[in-house]
Amino acid sequence: MVDRNRLEDVAYWLVVGGLGGLALLILTTPVVVVLVTSLTSEPSLQFPPPGLSLQWYAALLDPERSGHIHEAALNSLKVAAWSAALAMIVGTMAALWLQRHPTATGRTLDTVFMSPLVLPMLSFGLAALILITLMRFRPSLMWLTAGHLVVVVPFVLRTTLANLSQLDRALLDSSRSLGAGPFYTFRRVTLPIILPGIAAGTFLAFMASIDNVPVSLFLSSARTDMLPIRMWGMMESSLDVRVAAASGVLIVGAIVLLLVMDRLVGLTRRLSS
Amino acid sequence: MRSLNLDRRTFLGGATALAGSSALSLPARAAGDVVAAIYPGTWDEAFRSIVAPALQETKGVDLDLAPLYAVEQIAKARAARGLPPFDVFVLDPGPRASGVEMDLYEPFDVSKLENASKLPEGFVDTFGAPVAAQVVGIAYNPSKLPKPSGWADLFEEPFASRLGLTGFQTTYGTTSLIEIAKIFGGSETDVEPAFTKIKEILPQIAAVAQPSAMAGLFQQGQIDVMYGNTQAVATLKGRGVDIEFAMPETGAIAFVTTMHVAKGAENPAQAYQYIDTVVSADVQSKLMQPPYNFIPVNSDVELLASLPMASLDELSTFVRHDWSVINPQRADWIERFNREVAV
Amino acid sequence: MALLFVGFFAAPLIVLVWVSLHADQDMTRLGLDSWRKFLGDPFYLNVAFDTLLLGVKTVAGTAVLGMALALLYVEAGVRLRRVLLIIVVLPLLTSVVVRTFAWIVILGREGLVNQVVMGLGLSATPLRLLQTEFGLIVALMQIELPLMMLPLLAVMNRIDPRLVDASVALGASRLRTFVKVILPLSLPGLAAGCLLVFASSTAAFISQSVIGGGRLIYMPLVIWQQSVVVYNWPFAAVVSLSLLVSVLAVIALFGWLGRLSRGRIDG
Repeated sequence: MVDRNRLEDVAYWLVVGGLGGLALLILTTPVVVVLVTSLTSEPSLQFPPPGLSLQWYAALLDPERSGHIHEAALNSLKVAAWSAALAMIVGTMAALWLQRHPTATGRTLDTVFMSPLVLPMLSFGLAALILITLMRFRPSLMWLTAGHLVVVVPFVLRTTLANLSQLDRALLDSSRSLGAGPFYTFRRVTLPIILPGIAAGTFLAFMASIDNVPVSLFLSSARTDMLPIRMWGMMESSLDVRVAAASGVLIVGAIVLLLVMDRLVGLTRRLSS
Repeated sequence: MRSLNLDRRTFLGGATALAGSSALSLPARAAGDVVAAIYPGTWDEAFRSIVAPALQETKGVDLDLAPLYAVEQIAKARAARGLPPFDVFVLDPGPRASGVEMDLYEPFDVSKLENASKLPEGFVDTFGAPVAAQVVGIAYNPSKLPKPSGWADLFEEPFASRLGLTGFQTTYGTTSLIEIAKIFGGSETDVEPAFTKIKEILPQIAAVAQPSAMAGLFQQGQIDVMYGNTQAVATLKGRGVDIEFAMPETGAIAFVTTMHVAKGAENPAQAYQYIDTVVSADVQSKLMQPPYNFIPVNSDVELLASLPMASLDELSTFVRHDWSVINPQRADWIERFNREVAV
Repeated sequence: MALLFVGFFAAPLIVLVWVSLHADQDMTRLGLDSWRKFLGDPFYLNVAFDTLLLGVKTVAGTAVLGMALALLYVEAGVRLRRVLLIIVVLPLLTSVVVRTFAWIVILGREGLVNQVVMGLGLSATPLRLLQTEFGLIVALMQIELPLMMLPLLAVMNRIDPRLVDASVALGASRLRTFVKVILPLSLPGLAAGCLLVFASSTAAFISQSVIGGGRLIYMPLVIWQQSVVVYNWPFAAVVSLSLLVSVLAVIALFGWLGRLSRGRIDG
């Protein structure tokens, strides 16, 4: 019995390891290609690069040559930060409400909240533009943020709901019976459990907004120029290597951010214990 | 009474001084700004580095550029009925004709352009003015393929299995497919022969792709021959891509890219100043130089030897198309293309 | 605030419905012509079916690979976990624009995969990977894996490791432990991931059209052509709403099946 189990376990780990390895390969290969390409010494995107150099990073960071790209990047970051922050609040509140109302109405509303993810964003952008101009407004950063907010909320909602389903009702009840107020219960019981979900969803929301082309296409204006749209043109007409360098900057920045956050979290944990 | 008088004089004097000083310190602001749509990529980069400073210097107008493809400009302006998101369109003939149908432009007053007389005859009309010419032919990789002599070659080996096709969604794609249809007996109103030939070589064709993917596919050797314009070929070549332009034996296709003032534009006066600056000899000759490679339309500009023509007068010898005939059929062609190439 | 949100989504949706009820391109008269054109044409119904099928296949692929990677993640130490987490979110950090170029490099005729395959002598001629459904699904899996993994990891992190230890200590094989303990407990995360992946892969216009190429036709491409290239907005609205309804129907179906099976287990 034990022997058969051990054999089964070996097979199990082989399959899991193999599939997991394949997942890692699929996840990383394109990113490695992008990073290697961004280091090319040549004037256009090319793989493998004939020589290595950091010139495209220099070109990308040079305000003289890439000032308009920085502007677009700043706009994109602003919109992404606002829409992700608002999505975090709206998504979490909606998830908490839906969790407490597992009725047919709740399920319908759940579907309503999910549908922005499903509706092709191009149509949403077009319809939103028709609507905004019907009200005699011109597209602005505010409308752009509102548009992004709608399409990124589902990420927060979905991940938070998944964590909420792990919340044991008994925990809430015992907290309440021990005399804790609803806010205290939320902060000390509910929040720690759903925090990973909120964080994951907010991160997904932020990245989805940064990389959004279709909604921005219709709701942006000359003064709210967005990064991905600008990059399309650079890629299509001249295989501009700065497009790859921009991803390189984002990757390095994100890794540094993750490490710093990790340190901070570790530090606070040590201080509090 | 006296003191009041004095007060007023002091006040008026102060106000005049204030206005004078602000006019001195900010001469540019007084002339306003203009928002213009621009093709993303080469056009965007070129206009940012050449047209914007020239417009600022000569007219004191600030230029804001909104990167949008032609079809997107029309879709956006149509959705925003009456509240155009920009003052000036830049369009190829196909989307331009759509805009005429949808009544998206202010009537164009050519007398507001100082450079009007320098523009090629017959190209300025009541809708807009030309700002660049485009010549479309065959682009191929000279180190992998011999030079193709015409459109028919694309359907024979060694070209067919290295061919990258795009559909009718762009002006250059549409005109190329019409030329292909003509070779095999079709016309501007009958592209059936092109569909028949495409179906024949579909199994061996290298790629049927979106226009935005073509440059990447070409660079990485997925395709080695496609249709394209001289500007795109020269730009990629300037960036080290192994690419050459081949003039088809039946003639290359030529059309002009035009600019239009949007109906309901916020800054119509500046819009004309902007277009005038774009077609001025100085700006046109700068746009013609690498890395931008525009084909100028101002007759004062001496053409570079690398351009596909010696003078602008030759424009009429190239293959031209009637977009008022083509446009009504385009929706059907696009749908048809989907059906024919779908796996 | 939630109301405002619903409002800002519902209002454009109403605009779409209104647009879809017009008979002609210039939207001068009402009529169901566009709906009839879409629903009465086997070509478009086929496109709709292909789109949903693409979503299902992508979900299946990401669920299997994502689950395997998540199992490795929970076994890993703190340091390795951090590295794995960064790898999982990496695809989100590369712009869709340059990602399309990367896939040409990987899947192309002279691409990395073909160099390996031909180098190992597995095939004499280059395999056709780019612009095939298979290639597209692999490319979609890369960008959808984070959507699968983040909710999954958020849930699996909270599974009490003692439950797994107990199962193993009681003599259950790893596979049995997975099926009986880990899988049921991680189901909410898996379900959330599947939902996000299905919804976003069916609507992934840029990946579908640029990596998939012109011969694979899905609903988002038709919507783009009809709305931006030929300005037939009623038809574009019809295709958009059809995509919305059919994807939500598939999601609802899975939700219902999920509740049904859970009901059976509980009862």
